[in-house]
Amino acid sequence: MKHPFRWVALAVGAAVCALAVVLALTVSSDPHAEANTSRLVGKQMPKFTVEGLDGKPITSESLAGRTLVVNFWNSWCIPCRQEHDALTSWYAQHHDDPSIAMLGIVREDTKAAIRSYVKDQNVTWPVAFDPGAKAALDFGTRGQPETYAIGPDGVVVASKFGPVTPAVLDQMVAYAQGTN
Amino acid sequence: MLRRWLPWIVLAVLVVGALAYSAWPRSGDESVAAHTRRIASDLRCIDCESLSVADSATSSARATRADIAVRIRHGESDAEIRQVYVDRYGESVLLKPSSNGLGILVWALPIAALLIGAGGIVLALRRWQRQPRLVASTADEELVAEERARS
Repeated sequence: MKHPFRWVALAVGAAVCALAVVLALTVSSDPHAEANTSRLVGKQMPKFTVEGLDGKPITSESLAGRTLVVNFWNSWCIPCRQEHDALTSWYAQHHDDPSIAMLGIVREDTKAAIRSYVKDQNVTWPVAFDPGAKAALDFGTRGQPETYAIGPDGVVVASKFGPVTPAVLDQMVAYAQGTN
Repeated sequence: MLRRWLPWIVLAVLVVGALAYSAWPRSGDESVAAHTRRIASDLRCIDCESLSVADSATSSARATRADIAVRIRHGESDAEIRQVYVDRYGESVLLKPSSNGLGILVWALPIAALLIGAGGIVLALRRWQRQPRLVASTADEELVAEERARS
């Protein structure tokens, strides 16, 4: 090796270039993109059994064949309260449609707080507790509110992290029904 | 000769021994609870800041720990369990970068930089050793002697 320092300098340069490539790849991808998109979209909805306010089980199988809107929420989260009116008005428009079902699954809250909220805010759509947070885990939820639209075939077609609006819900359901 | 190299040999044996001990898989049965905690320590709590699933008290972290324990009892490997969560939340769920794909660069680059740096230092030291030291000529010594005599 005639000029060892040149080889060392070359190796250092190569290492710096490799680091630059890694940094460029990392920076060029939106670090928040992963946190804004559910990896469940395009996949089969996870099977779940949740507990209705009356204590009776509600299963994913019992909702199969319909376009399903699943909303993870709780009584103390501000964005959940902010989307309450949107959910109420949207459900008022669609609750007579037998091809559509909506289910609110409670995430990180007590039964007493939820019962009180449902009564005070006149929540009209089915609400269910999630024993052991199993459904929230299987859906890969990151917080609340999170809303999923599932087609009649059981495939998750759309998801929304954060509060929804009636227009967003209409769009999600249109995707799920294959009309958009 | 041996006396000169003995401390280095002892040091090398100690370093290799320590590395082998830390890298060697532990024998003996690990309880499901300990196994769960080990895997949960490598997973980021999804709905809390900078905490592992093992250290978080949220219901999602508790559910994750319960799920990991069930999967361990069902005989799933550590890699399979981690993959379930990577599929669900992405690579960002891992507190330690994976050791394949681009993730290996995170591990390999510091080691490569360390080796290259150490190599550079060794080469520099050897070059300095080879360089002849300055030797005072007769004229230099005379000059010094004159200055001493004057002072």
